Amino acid sequence: MRNLFRAEWIKIAGNRWVAGCLIWIFPIGAVAFFAVAGLVLALSSSARTGLRQDEVFLWTEQAIGVWNFPNNPVGRLILLGFTAVVFAGEYQWQTWKNVVPRNRRAALILIKFLALGAFVVLAFSLMSALWTAGWAVLTRIADVSYGPRITWAVLQDFGEDYALAAGLAFTSTLIAAGYAALAAMLTRSILGGVIAGFALTFVENLSIVALMLIGWFLDIPRIVHLYRFTPGYNLINVASWINDNAPNTMRPFEESKYSDIVFSDSLGFSVALLALWVFGLIALTVTLFQRQDITS
Amino acid sequence: MSTEIAIETRNLCKTFGRRASKRIEAVKHLNLEVRAGQVYGFLGPNGAGKSTTIRMMLDLIHSTAGDVYLYGRHVHRHHEILRRVGTLVEGATFYNFLSGRRNLEVLARTANCYDPRRIEQLLEQVGLAERANQRVKRYSTGMKQRLGLAAALLSDPDLLILDEPTNGLDPGGMHEIRTFIRRLVDEQGKTVFLSSHLLGEVEQVCDRVAIINLGEIVREGAVDELLAGKSTLRVEARPLQRAAEVLRQYWPIVTNETWLTVSASHEDSPHVVRRLVEAGVDVYQVAAQRQTLEEYFLAVVRENGSHA
Repeated sequence: MRNLFRAEWIKIAGNRWVAGCLIWIFPIGAVAFFAVAGLVLALSSSARTGLRQDEVFLWTEQAIGVWNFPNNPVGRLILLGFTAVVFAGEYQWQTWKNVVPRNRRAALILIKFLALGAFVVLAFSLMSALWTAGWAVLTRIADVSYGPRITWAVLQDFGEDYALAAGLAFTSTLIAAGYAALAAMLTRSILGGVIAGFALTFVENLSIVALMLIGWFLDIPRIVHLYRFTPGYNLINVASWINDNAPNTMRPFEESKYSDIVFSDSLGFSVALLALWVFGLIALTVTLFQRQDITS
Repeated sequence: MSTEIAIETRNLCKTFGRRASKRIEAVKHLNLEVRAGQVYGFLGPNGAGKSTTIRMMLDLIHSTAGDVYLYGRHVHRHHEILRRVGTLVEGATFYNFLSGRRNLEVLARTANCYDPRRIEQLLEQVGLAERANQRVKRYSTGMKQRLGLAAALLSDPDLLILDEPTNGLDPGGMHEIRTFIRRLVDEQGKTVFLSSHLLGEVEQVCDRVAIINLGEIVREGAVDELLAGKSTLRVEARPLQRAAEVLRQYWPIVTNETWLTVSASHEDSPHVVRRLVEAGVDVYQVAAQRQTLEEYFLAVVRENGSHA
């Protein structure tokens, strides 16, 4: 398995354009941002004053905030592109025919997910470290405080929050990767994988609206409860549990005769649902690949 | 030659397309037995089902019916048997953004048989050692083909399944590969299953051949047996067209710009001359020659029809 992982790593890292534009762009982007911002702050006193008037800067928040990037549309699109290259690339380069006879199909797919996850974690950990250090430099230039002071208790709290935020981002990335991998396998094209993967993510996010409309038209409002089983809702709910130690209370039909429909699920429910989605999507990709004919 | 059976297909079928109007039967009830320790040629016109059969042997595509066994093990149920197989399928394709050496490393690691010394040895053997660090994107077709052969040999396999291994090679390169294949079999006891459209090449290197047409095996046997007694007569006569009209009534012929190849035995020579003289055709030469595999193949394919 170690050899297989190493092979996948070489393939991804060796594709410099893809790795550079879709993975290393995150830490490189952070460095570029701080180089420009540092220069502006060093040269402009008004910029330094402006920064002093801004909110309080906490390194703990900067380090953790980076992990929200995979969930924003641009970050999501970049990661979908990366996943599509990892999975559909083998079809486009016609390399499956060399690879498939050399190992089990299930292992080949599982290792792709593992390598993809490792790259994402590495890129965002690096970005998080650079982002935290970058703000330390900027606040030093602008002479702004950059707390909190490092104590054992602070480090312990930070460690827990960091792990949860990173875990959530990783789960959300794996789910998006699952969509993109499925799409890439079905379309056998990188572009097809990106478009279909993005469409699947979009449809999932909009499914609440579709369910509400169906509920209205058919007068079966309880159908909207299906949304509680989507990854999107459960990611929000887990985030709410992490940040506020309480469920994310959601009322789809606010101020209507159906206002009694409320989503307010436990952390256990959401974690189990997310685990099911991750394993389900990976299992579906493996099953699809097991049955697929490699004709190119 | 060993009595062990390296490849066996039983009633192997593959149909593409679900709708009746688009359904194509690429391979029909194919039964094949390849003994270990020989070079086995697999011939057929384009679209005959060669590549589909090879892909089923490598578990790349699933058969609609029937089974493939490699060394007695069902290839789909015992995927690990493919560790004894080296492959080069339909033109060598690689990760263009990686160097030749890196490509071999990726494939060796995928097969869990990574050995840097073996890679260097193979690069040397196929003549790519000096350009091994160059990206494959810059390789010529011939170089890619050589790299493909090196990749096929990475795990020191017992069986090599090669689909058009000399594509893109110059005559010198082709000769080298032919000698290389023969040596693998004669000196190391390996088995080679070779698909090629270069029939001269197949004739020189193969012990046995199977000819597939429209998804079915139409001939199978040792090359010498298939061509035994299949001599032809080369006839030079004027006017050539008249000679062709006369002889076509009695024997199958292939016309050329300057001579005719008549599928007839040496004993038929006097009859051929008599027919031509009686028709007022001047005969310059009638020479018996052994039928080549190419002529035999064309005759078989014509006899069985083809969509090529």
